Amino acid sequence: MKNILRVLGLGLLLWVQGTYAHAQEKYTVSGYVKDVANGEGLIGVSVYVREASTGVVTNPYGFYSITLPEGEYALVFSYIGYEKLTSQLVLNADQRLNVEMAAESRQLQEVVVSTKKEDDNVRSLEMSVNKIDIKTIRKIPALLGEVDIIRSIQLLPGVTTVGEGASGFNVRGGDVSQNLILLDEAPVYNSSHLFGFFSVFNPDAVKDVKLIKGGIPAQYGGRISSILDVRMKEGNTKKREINGGIGTIFSRLTYEQPFAQSRGSFIVAARRSYIDVLAKPFLKGDLKKSRFSFYDLTAKVNYRLDDKNTFYASGYFGRDVFGSADFGFGWGNGTATARWNHIFSNKLFLNLTAYYSNYDYSIESDRKKKEVKDKFTWNSTIISSSLKPDFTYYLTPNNQVSFGGQYINYNTRPGNAVAISNGESRNISLDSRYGDESALYVANEQKVSERVSLQYGIRYSFYRNLGPGQVYAYQEIQKGERQYPVLPGTAVPKGETIKHYGNWEPRFSLNIGLSSTASLKASYNRTAQYLHLLSNTAASSPLDVWTLSTHLIKPEIADQVALGWFQNFRDNSYEASVEVYYKDLQNQIDYVRNSDLLLNRYVEGDLLFGRGRAYGAEFFLRKNKGRLTGWLSYTLARTERLVEGVNNDTWFPARFDKPHNFTAVGLFDLNNRLTLSSNFTMASGTPATFPTNRFEYNGWALPYNVYNARNNNRIPAYHRLDLAATLKSKRKLFKSGEGEWVFSVYNAYNRRNPYSIYVQQNEDNPLTTEAVRFSVIGSIIPAVTYNFKF
Amino acid sequence: MKKKIYPFYLVAFLALGLLTSCEDVIDLKTETGPAQLVVDGWITDQAGPQAIRLTLSAAYFNNSPATPVTGAEVTVTDDAGTTFPFRYITEKKIYQWTPPQDSVKLARIGRTYTLTIRYEGEEYIAINQIKRVPTIDSLAYKNEKFPIKPPEGPQEGYVAEFYARDFLGIGDTYWIKPLKGGKLNGTEAGAISLAFDGAFSPGSPSDGLIFIQPLRQSITTNGLFSAGDTAGVELHSITPETFYFLLQVRQESANGGIFAVPPANIPTNIQNLNPNGKKALGFFGTSAVSRAETVIDPRKAKPKS
Repeated sequence: MKNILRVLGLGLLLWVQGTYAHAQEKYTVSGYVKDVANGEGLIGVSVYVREASTGVVTNPYGFYSITLPEGEYALVFSYIGYEKLTSQLVLNADQRLNVEMAAESRQLQEVVVSTKKEDDNVRSLEMSVNKIDIKTIRKIPALLGEVDIIRSIQLLPGVTTVGEGASGFNVRGGDVSQNLILLDEAPVYNSSHLFGFFSVFNPDAVKDVKLIKGGIPAQYGGRISSILDVRMKEGNTKKREINGGIGTIFSRLTYEQPFAQSRGSFIVAARRSYIDVLAKPFLKGDLKKSRFSFYDLTAKVNYRLDDKNTFYASGYFGRDVFGSADFGFGWGNGTATARWNHIFSNKLFLNLTAYYSNYDYSIESDRKKKEVKDKFTWNSTIISSSLKPDFTYYLTPNNQVSFGGQYINYNTRPGNAVAISNGESRNISLDSRYGDESALYVANEQKVSERVSLQYGIRYSFYRNLGPGQVYAYQEIQKGERQYPVLPGTAVPKGETIKHYGNWEPRFSLNIGLSSTASLKASYNRTAQYLHLLSNTAASSPLDVWTLSTHLIKPEIADQVALGWFQNFRDNSYEASVEVYYKDLQNQIDYVRNSDLLLNRYVEGDLLFGRGRAYGAEFFLRKNKGRLTGWLSYTLARTERLVEGVNNDTWFPARFDKPHNFTAVGLFDLNNRLTLSSNFTMASGTPATFPTNRFEYNGWALPYNVYNARNNNRIPAYHRLDLAATLKSKRKLFKSGEGEWVFSVYNAYNRRNPYSIYVQQNEDNPLTTEAVRFSVIGSIIPAVTYNFKF
Repeated sequence: MKKKIYPFYLVAFLALGLLTSCEDVIDLKTETGPAQLVVDGWITDQAGPQAIRLTLSAAYFNNSPATPVTGAEVTVTDDAGTTFPFRYITEKKIYQWTPPQDSVKLARIGRTYTLTIRYEGEEYIAINQIKRVPTIDSLAYKNEKFPIKPPEGPQEGYVAEFYARDFLGIGDTYWIKPLKGGKLNGTEAGAISLAFDGAFSPGSPSDGLIFIQPLRQSITTNGLFSAGDTAGVELHSITPETFYFLLQVRQESANGGIFAVPPANIPTNIQNLNPNGKKALGFFGTSAVSRAETVIDPRKAKPKS
């Protein structure tokens, strides 16, 4: 509690300073920046004041505020892909300036000669941050032609995956559960459809994607590796719009419409896979009843009450459903977010978010009959709900203070299961577990001089594991082996704290301008994570259970330092950066051999805890302008773990360690109708553990590694080329509409990239050993997609 | 494709099948470690001779038969103080205890047995116990027709299952061995069928139940039965240590695909009395056995539910 007071005190101090600053002859200009075509708020637009050589960027709602001495100014609004906009103003009182920017048309793009440079990359304090424009994502060749946000992110420096079909992504040596994936500020617990082949985000409803790998601002917390901030479209406030497409996997339809004289708008977007529908006529008997589909529904509505108050409500619901006539398996996420943007004064902006997010799966062995003699049902759920106020105080042009907090309530049901055997039933459910997480933060972004800017902040997070719950101590028999509970354990009543943890999480970033086109940046951040995904499989599976910290499962903590050099050249046509980072990870989870992570009330006994370290260098060159755009990225990195009882107590590479990672993405606008694109990926193979010896037992040849090593080998390198062409139809669709065909080829030169190599006994002779290369994608995959808009 | 227990995997393969996943046998070079003594021993409460096989481990991809170990001194002692000597039989390349008559048993339910091996100046021991085993109440079968022809067995035939009840009390563990025509069937290591109480998992015990349906039906493996076939089961009571050993054997024998777990060494219960001495591999298992068989008669098949 004392700590919380200290943070509040700090916030208050900054507040008071702000009031002093106000006493001078200064005025504030503030407002929203929107897209002229559809009224969507634009995120990250740079607002530059030439006369004062200072500037700000718009926040996730498109809001900006800047305070200047009385005078005449020209405000320059610039944003990649949009026409620059200059607004003259006489500042002699606080004023509101809302602007609308227009997307550049291709012709303009070529003739425009910028007087002021779009050098946000160099100037901003952000480092280790990647943004990909949704328009770019749409052009990148995609698996089966399905535009996919998570798979596009995997083309960025510092981001890897264990392989095709693996759920999620790994950022700078962190595992998939260490990424905070936010959809309109609500966390998404499983970002995948069909295991890991497609992600849950409908590209037609996404406005902005930002990946923060380092220098994580104080307002974010709860995961230690990265933040993937996905913002949904608000809905066209100018006119009705219908988008859709028919792809190989999904059919999509999006509807947007303004209401209340453009004060509000909404968007509804739906996707569904339709393989099952197409397959049905070809199936016979019971197979006709097989279910195989995945779908999602995304909706958002916003309403501007007045100049000071805007409301947003958004929701996502997605589900994967598989099964036969009687057996059923399904999983999915649901999120709901309500937000209130309030402008207290020209300088103080509030966003208040309330969200609800859940993830669940269920398995049922016999869906058909209610009364059966033999049945197994099993489900698991995590529910979190949260309230999150975030304030931005535009103190002076050189100081922008943000402060706020968050409260999250967790309710997890790790496994509810009933086994019925011959009419007798056993409830083998695990107890629900409860917890909450609160956080307070304050940060300031400060321009120290024309060349030096700083961002410094602190976040204090406080977590409680709450009763009711049965708490067990565990007895260690041998290091690295299963621990057994001391029974009967202690019952902790409802509402009482079983265990609590608090963490100070300092955040710091520095930008030193070297010239008008180059800068040096540095950052340090500490992050803490109280929620853990227990997963011992190569790729995380939909059955993996999110588990709260307990008296034995300590919070995961990461400390990261990063240093980067940023350079733009050729009139900001090219952005280049080199970053190096080092990360120290505490309380990383590993597993005993043959760990039983599902429906195990003593699961803590199957966990091991260790340290981690990850380090690397990322080289990135991006071309933003012209007919040819795209990027080259190369990452040299290691990520290792140290766990007592594993690999003879020495460091070993993590499952997703890939020292070399190269990607090239090229998008070429051939003419007004045709865009060609390609991407090439090449990466080191993932680590593998191979046996050294075999021994015969009961007629089987069994593997044994005499060195007791983990990940001491590596599978061959991965490389793949994808191609795509987007052709706009000549004919207008329903007079005013547009249509386009997307042709894509995945794995163009038909390589069988190994996902893993493992050993086994020959099926016909179990005394014969063999090695098997497993490829998830073993052939070239062409696809055609048709998209329309009217 | 190896038989997996969770239907989930089935679905996973179905899904992956659409994306042209493939498995190829390849050549792989791996390091080789020094050879070790391997104990392949299992005694039961059944009457007749009992055998223990000793070999040496070899390079992983060395597919010639394992080198037998001769010249070891092998005995089993029970907790009542009786010692059973095992003698090397050259033709069979095994160490065998031979009773005076074939109706004499070595092991009894409830007793603990210690295996002692003296070899090359080292003394190895392993301790295991014969646990109680339930009787098989009945065997039943019902007609089944698959919509498509399965890779093994007929498209239409019978699914056999056995009925037996787990004892009350948490921690009874079993190895369920399918029989077909009086012989063990489906002996692949990846298909080992194990029960913890009446269900699969020690973390969520289903104590005192009739074995759950997937376990009961695990005796129908490698295809459906046809009319006239003899279906059967051997139910072995094992200790939890043996359960975990076999679980790991199964895991390491079918550990591929996108949900593979990190490979880990298979544990052993063979200890060298000298902690700094050479380590041995393998396992000394013990079990009591219940056995039942039936001839599939279409007239007695249960109606299809």
